Amino acid sequence: MDETLARKKVVRHPKKPKKQPITWSIIKSQNQLIWMSVPLLFYIILFAYVPVWGWTMAFQNYRPGRPFSEQKWVGFDQFKFLLTDDNFLRVFRNTLAMGLINMILGFVTAIVLALLLNEIRKVFWKRTVQTISYLPHFLSWIIVTGIVATSLSINDGIINIVLMKLHLIREPILWLSEGKYFWGIVGASHVWKEVGWNTIIYLAAIASIDPALYEAAEIDGANRYKKMAFVTLPGIKATIVILLIMSVGHVLEAGFEVQYLLGNGLVVDWSETIDIFVLKYGIAQGNYSLATAGGIFKTVVSITLLLLANWTAKRLGEERLL
Amino acid sequence: MGGNSKARFKLSLIALLALSFTLSGCGGNNNKNTSEGKENTATQTAAANADGKVEPFEISVFIGEAGQQPTPDNKIYKKIKDELGATFNYEYLAGDLNQKLGVMIAGQDYPDVMTGNTKLTAAGAYIPLEELIEKHAPNLKAHYADYWNMMKDPNDGHIYILPNYGVYNGKVNSTYYSGPAFWIQKAILKEFGYPKVKTLDEYFDLIAKYKEKYPTIDGSPTIGFEILNNDWRNWGLFNAPQHLIGHPNDGGVVVNDGVAEIFADKDYAKQYYQKLNEVNQLGLLDKETFVQNYDQYMAKLSSGTVLGMFDQHWNFGAAEDSLKTQKKDERTYVGLPLVFDTNTKDYYRDLPVLNLNNGFGISVNAKDSVKIIKLLDALMAEDWQKTLSWGIQGEDYEVNEKGRFIRTQEQRDNAVDSTWILANKAKTIVDFAPKIEGSYSDGNSTGADSQIEEYQAGLKPYDKEILDAYGYNSYVDFFSEPPANPVYYPAWSIDLVEGSEAKVVNTKLNDLSTKFLPKAILAETAKFDSAWSEYVAQIGKVNVKAYEDKINEQIKWRIDKWSK
Repeated sequence: MDETLARKKVVRHPKKPKKQPITWSIIKSQNQLIWMSVPLLFYIILFAYVPVWGWTMAFQNYRPGRPFSEQKWVGFDQFKFLLTDDNFLRVFRNTLAMGLINMILGFVTAIVLALLLNEIRKVFWKRTVQTISYLPHFLSWIIVTGIVATSLSINDGIINIVLMKLHLIREPILWLSEGKYFWGIVGASHVWKEVGWNTIIYLAAIASIDPALYEAAEIDGANRYKKMAFVTLPGIKATIVILLIMSVGHVLEAGFEVQYLLGNGLVVDWSETIDIFVLKYGIAQGNYSLATAGGIFKTVVSITLLLLANWTAKRLGEERLL
Repeated sequence: MGGNSKARFKLSLIALLALSFTLSGCGGNNNKNTSEGKENTATQTAAANADGKVEPFEISVFIGEAGQQPTPDNKIYKKIKDELGATFNYEYLAGDLNQKLGVMIAGQDYPDVMTGNTKLTAAGAYIPLEELIEKHAPNLKAHYADYWNMMKDPNDGHIYILPNYGVYNGKVNSTYYSGPAFWIQKAILKEFGYPKVKTLDEYFDLIAKYKEKYPTIDGSPTIGFEILNNDWRNWGLFNAPQHLIGHPNDGGVVVNDGVAEIFADKDYAKQYYQKLNEVNQLGLLDKETFVQNYDQYMAKLSSGTVLGMFDQHWNFGAAEDSLKTQKKDERTYVGLPLVFDTNTKDYYRDLPVLNLNNGFGISVNAKDSVKIIKLLDALMAEDWQKTLSWGIQGEDYEVNEKGRFIRTQEQRDNAVDSTWILANKAKTIVDFAPKIEGSYSDGNSTGADSQIEEYQAGLKPYDKEILDAYGYNSYVDFFSEPPANPVYYPAWSIDLVEGSEAKVVNTKLNDLSTKFLPKAILAETAKFDSAWSEYVAQIGKVNVKAYEDKINEQIKWRIDKWSK
């Protein structure tokens, strides 16, 4: 606890350390370190910066198999097509909405499950629940969507059967034919598939909380819920914030498979994401430039969101990523 | 010491050689003359083994469909290796084709032979074949003689792909119809005394009557009519109107006197979808029909509860196979060529056309294109064709005293056993390589399925009963004899060219139909008209003309170039 507090102070009132000039003697004395970082540097240059060269495609009418000099440059035409298309705004809305739903739902459920699991005293049950909940993570989306579609079916889908037995509905509902259900279905599928997996990191964070704190709280008369609220949650707050900032950057990765595999003509207004749009009008048409433009658009939005989240976290005096 | 330096010298020489080879290979990739260069070296190697000795060589092949590797000791591949020297290394598609092609194209990473695809053609991944065929492949030349002009790529006039289907020799026997139709369960026809169903109204009446009489089949609720509209399998919803007015399958357009126009927004299309709307009000349409995916659709068909659907036969063949294994022959389907009114002659069944977007092409990376073309040419010889299609005489088929090929029951069972096929048939070659179709010079059919004796011998009693009641030889007889194909036919095989406006419009039209047609069909009767006019209005916003113009341009081109 002392340590965290100390670190927080540094964050709040950062003292600017005096800049030390980089001299040859420093480089020489740290040469092992520098050599150790070289492979990593190469890795990053090769896989993170070199591919950015491919972005030039977005400003061309790229035809595969031709050398770079023969490609036709078209400026911002691809972006214009993308942003002026009737569907694009809708597709963008869907992506953002489903991304946010997945993110928030994923967060809340994972933290809640972690808190609950932490309260289970019998290790056997804890392990069992944890294992069962993270197993779906290893299924591919095609299998998950198969399971989802079957459980939502009106013929013998388990969801409809259960709801009927509980007398919550009178007639089976055709879940996949109504746009208003679609985001919820996608969110729920994500939770089912990923909740156990996302919980792992929180459980690890909880495990690192000093048991003395619980004992102290107990002596002060805290019950289970109070311990959860005043010891466990603050204890994993740093983890939560960092993970939140990181996932904000991925909010436009709402997914492709779920929406593609569960979507149909009736719900297309709610189901189509940027990735599907790009697949249809970019890759499937052999128009790789448009696909690249779509990728750039997503990256720009993602970086903006990431910086925004990071800035907010700084303002709130929380842990930051950058 | 001396030995050591000698070794080092050798080593550096090898390294230098390897480097120069690599570099020349690198340079060659972007060079348009590569194929010619390769051809020269290839001719030399070919000449070197002209003494009749079989030199073993390997060919890597990419198949743009999922498939299974033959067993290592496969009978036919072994024979090919022994007699022609060739070993095939197949790479079957796993996952998404477009993704895979994207990776292949981006890396210029092609095997020797690839199945046809317009994306690969556009990327310049194939070598032109005209000269190779002229020089080295007399069998192929003769085989394709009548189709030569058709095989040329409309964009640059070269031949890149050797089509695998649609080149016919001799009499064409046909006992199996694989195309589109309105399908109906055999049990319904039997139930109502084998009626001749001609129109859409009669068809839905039969289904309604049967569903009323049998609300459940084997304990599950009876489903009247299914429409599959999932991903690329979208014809179940889109294609019926053109057939109902007596036109063949031209894809998204109807062609009159060589002029194409889309039919999605026309009145006869409205008539069909309005009928579906009515049918839905009667509760005949499956509620899940627009929500289901292909697997769910196949599961329903396989359960035997679906009375009818509009589909292509090949698309649901697996479901019928499953019904047959379950001994539910009465639940398998008969295709009906329905029209709006009896004055219209049905034109569902067409004469087979050349399949331009399929078959083998040789890639620019092929090490030895001449060897490959010679191999394909050798396999075109009639003896090899018989071996590929029928198998080995005495093992896989017998010849009776009249010289007709016939199989014993055991051989028939083998032929449909997938495990046996992997070890005893070169299925991938049969499917994708150029082949003789129709009949051989001795009159036998090129495939066991179209050999009429074989077909009759294989008929189940239930099918015999139905065919006898109608007085037909096979289920193909339900359809009218097709007239000669128009020169341009079929318009669906027109390449809209990657990245063109026409292709974008085509995708948009597909999107609109997928979105608005289900809405209109599921709407209340009173709201159908407004749903329809919204759909037509949306189509009006799309640049349909660009799409129609491209198709018309290509139709005109085909008429000019393909007419003999």
